[in-house]
Amino acid sequence: MKLEDVYVVGVGMHPFGKHGASNKVMAYTAGKAALQDAGLKFRDVGYLYNGYLGGDPIEGVGIAKELGLTGVPVVHVENASATGSSAFREAALAVAGGHAEVAMALGYDDMLRMGQRMMQIFMAEGPRVESLVLPAAFFAMWAVRRMHDYGTTAETFARIAAKNWNHARHNPNAQRRSTHEVTAEEVLASKEVAWPHTSMMACATGGGAACAILANKATARRLANGRPLVKVTSSQLQSEQYVDGHIFMGAVVGPSELTRTTAQASWEDAGIGPEDISFVHVHDAFPIEELMYYELMGFCGDGEGDRLVAEGATSLGGRIPFSTDGGLIARGHPGGPTGLAQVWDATLQLRGEAGQRQVENARHGAVHMMGAGSVCAMHILSRED
Amino acid sequence: MADQAPLEPGYFRLPAGEGERGRLLGSYSAAAGKYFFPQRLQCPITEEPVEEVELSPEGTLYSWTWVSMPFMGNMQMGDGKGHAVGQIDLPEGVRIQSVIQGQRDDFEIGMRMGLEFVPVKKKGSRQLMTFCFAPVKEESK
Repeated sequence: MKLEDVYVVGVGMHPFGKHGASNKVMAYTAGKAALQDAGLKFRDVGYLYNGYLGGDPIEGVGIAKELGLTGVPVVHVENASATGSSAFREAALAVAGGHAEVAMALGYDDMLRMGQRMMQIFMAEGPRVESLVLPAAFFAMWAVRRMHDYGTTAETFARIAAKNWNHARHNPNAQRRSTHEVTAEEVLASKEVAWPHTSMMACATGGGAACAILANKATARRLANGRPLVKVTSSQLQSEQYVDGHIFMGAVVGPSELTRTTAQASWEDAGIGPEDISFVHVHDAFPIEELMYYELMGFCGDGEGDRLVAEGATSLGGRIPFSTDGGLIARGHPGGPTGLAQVWDATLQLRGEAGQRQVENARHGAVHMMGAGSVCAMHILSRED
Repeated sequence: MADQAPLEPGYFRLPAGEGERGRLLGSYSAAAGKYFFPQRLQCPITEEPVEEVELSPEGTLYSWTWVSMPFMGNMQMGDGKGHAVGQIDLPEGVRIQSVIQGQRDDFEIGMRMGLEFVPVKKKGSRQLMTFCFAPVKEESK
């Protein structure tokens, strides 16, 4: 959907990591940080979309009470890994539809606690026919097929992961912050998870929260305080369409073509193409995904992604940096807040406030997310001086 | 065989007797000319009714991986060092995703794979089974 009058006016995070903070504290911290960034009070928020996977059913509205008892409508959004992205989209649509001048998308989760809970359920109920293939195995099968079709090597996957680890070194909210430059050799030498993926290639799982506040242009101008505006120019959310060899069962994110059709719709909405984009965030739960998204989003032709990696084109300082905050691999992937953490980085990039990970003269950012089940979400954010 | 039962109904039929291999249960949409697995309540393309069908018990390996972790929870496959999973293309145009039997050096994309059934857990006196695939051993001359 092409959007005309929706702007990001505030972003905030609770750092991602294995810190064990409660959902309440993480959500409050991120929400309060975004309000401060925007220069708003919670009473100014006209809609709140809470995004979480692992909390209790009524937790979202309860946690909102920590921010204030303002009577604001509160809605729980859940779309697997794309939960935060979907909450962001709902908030954007609320503003675009004129239902609120200001809307908040607040995501939080702790993937470790979620995993423990799922394991308890599994142990109590036992396996099911469709639960026997793990997500890590699913993406590894993408990788093995890729190696067969295009000759991609494990080294390429390791280089993508090392890049994202090194991007995260400049992100204070990242879960994995290496004290040294991470090498592809180090990534390859880490414990194998599912061939050809190793533990340093797998997304970091922990807890965290992230928040974005959206507003119409009049409000965004009033709050700008000398900063460039960050416009949401496109919001796309697609579920699966049938493809030959369609897989219906198991923990999957659907056919990879879902990213291609979602990206194509996004470019049409925004009236720009991949050549206009300054940086990209994707669902890089494993490096095979990032590699395939280079191609599926149109940043290079099919089979040419390996060359982008070899050239360093997708690193900070390269032609089209991907996962500038470390991505799921190193910034982390708690679940509910992940898509909003992407928006946090994208907003700072477009304002020129991203510090050591700043992409020079960032003008347009593409933010992509997959959610198991499955859906693909994509937003394009643009700087407006 | 009498004490075996599917882990869940609707996914497959266990072998009817010695020498019979059982079948996965899918859906066929005459309107779309497509097969699906697992069964659909209607055709996801045309929204027309589908009929239950038994799918071919052999196909080719589209992709695979070796998962270097214990199986989920207290369930382990083989020697417990890890397990393989694969995607198998059946002649009907259906891609199946399942555990595959064998060691990590046993697999090659394009190889023939056959349907098998493995025990998962006991429920009372009955052994609950699920399906998997394994490389087809070619007849040696």
